Amino acid sequence: MRVSLVVNGSPREVDLPPLTRLLDALRGPLGLTGTKEGCAEGECGSCTVLLDGDPVNACLVAIGQCEGREVTTVEGLGDAAHLSPLQRCFIEEGGAQCGICTPGVLIAATHLLSRVAKPTELEVREALAGNLCRCTGYQRIVESVRAAAALRSTLGGSAQATRAELPTPRGEGGAS
Amino acid sequence: MSLAELSRFELRRVGGLGALCELVAEAAGRGEAPVLLAGGTDWVVEQELRPPLGPGEAPPLVVDISRMTELRGVELAGDRLRIGAAATYLDIRRSAAVLERAPLLDRMARDVGAVQIQARGTLGGNLATASPAADGVAALAAYDATVVVRSVRGERRIPFGALQTGYKRTTRAADEVIVAVEIDLPEAGSPWFWRKVGARRAQAISKVALAGVAELAPGGRLARLGVGVASVAPVTALLPSVRALALSRPLSALKAAEVDAAVDADVSPIDDVRSTAAYRAHCARAVTREFLRQLGAPV
Repeated sequence: MRVSLVVNGSPREVDLPPLTRLLDALRGPLGLTGTKEGCAEGECGSCTVLLDGDPVNACLVAIGQCEGREVTTVEGLGDAAHLSPLQRCFIEEGGAQCGICTPGVLIAATHLLSRVAKPTELEVREALAGNLCRCTGYQRIVESVRAAAALRSTLGGSAQATRAELPTPRGEGGAS
Repeated sequence: MSLAELSRFELRRVGGLGALCELVAEAAGRGEAPVLLAGGTDWVVEQELRPPLGPGEAPPLVVDISRMTELRGVELAGDRLRIGAAATYLDIRRSAAVLERAPLLDRMARDVGAVQIQARGTLGGNLATASPAADGVAALAAYDATVVVRSVRGERRIPFGALQTGYKRTTRAADEVIVAVEIDLPEAGSPWFWRKVGARRAQAISKVALAGVAELAPGGRLARLGVGVASVAPVTALLPSVRALALSRPLSALKAAEVDAAVDADVSPIDDVRSTAAYRAHCARAVTREFLRQLGAPV
């Protein structure tokens, strides 16, 4: 099946069996090996990419479902010469160790910061709950994301980012 | 089988719901069940566990329904909320109508996997696979939702209580497509309850999850009570004895021991990899009482 999609802002076309995983299309014919395969069953979040702006596990998406859609991978966030504030902060704050979970974490965190300019620790932890890390114990990751939010507001880069399409956390039940 | 075998599968798109129903009816006529693929959060994972295709065995037909607009909406009309079968949990969380009128659904959806799963998973998928562990289905049970199915024979509306007949078995016929769920909402501001017990909050299948909705009546009674519990029976548990008990008298007259006995009569949990029957029964009693306590019962 021929599938046309937009990857990191560029129109691309692949010709693959339709149930090829988006993950394999990215790492194979599209040549984008930044996205990692961890569990291959939607548990670990290593293969997280943005699909039309929302984070998904690329191991669970069929390429045949991607016609006309926009995909953002870690390569779309920045490169060694032009790191995004988030990437810079992961380096400076020790948010990355072995690196396998990092691309997925960066994508999930990018999604959070696009919706919540200054997330609380709880908001960061919830937004990254689908990304497993076996090295950091998460604390440095959370600090990296919050540092990136602070850096971006200093730079004014995304000062216009609006708060929370997603609701803020609240309790277990309610009544009025 | 290995995931590589997926390369032999065909993926079809259809023009609309009518064409989808025809395709499903034709397949059902041949004794086949096409795979209606939405988020793939169950089906793609299951393919790894399937035995390999035998020699000459054709792979199942897979139909992509993930972007069928007729199946995607979340709409409020009066006091009735209609959620398309292929609306994702993230669609549900982003619905202003859900936030305002069905906060239980928003709260429940936050506990489905994590955002990556919420962006893909659907209520229709959970209803089709009919796992008794599905959080979303427990919430639908609490609302006594109606499941709308469509086939070339017409539309049929299945009350939630008439849907599930056994472990992963439902009354949906082979030619019927799940189109939407409809919920007659409690009055705005009515009490609701959600409690998920799992190994961790995200990416964990529930050991027990309880969804509850209620409407209060004068005199300290309940005008409406809905409860749905995941992972305590072969089907999503509706706790009929608990409902009957709590509706039969003022909340202040409920006793903990009676509630516990009613829960015990309504659940039949098992030991499995995630938990034990004894712990599940304990949790079912505890969270049921917590819900009723929140409503004002001295339990």
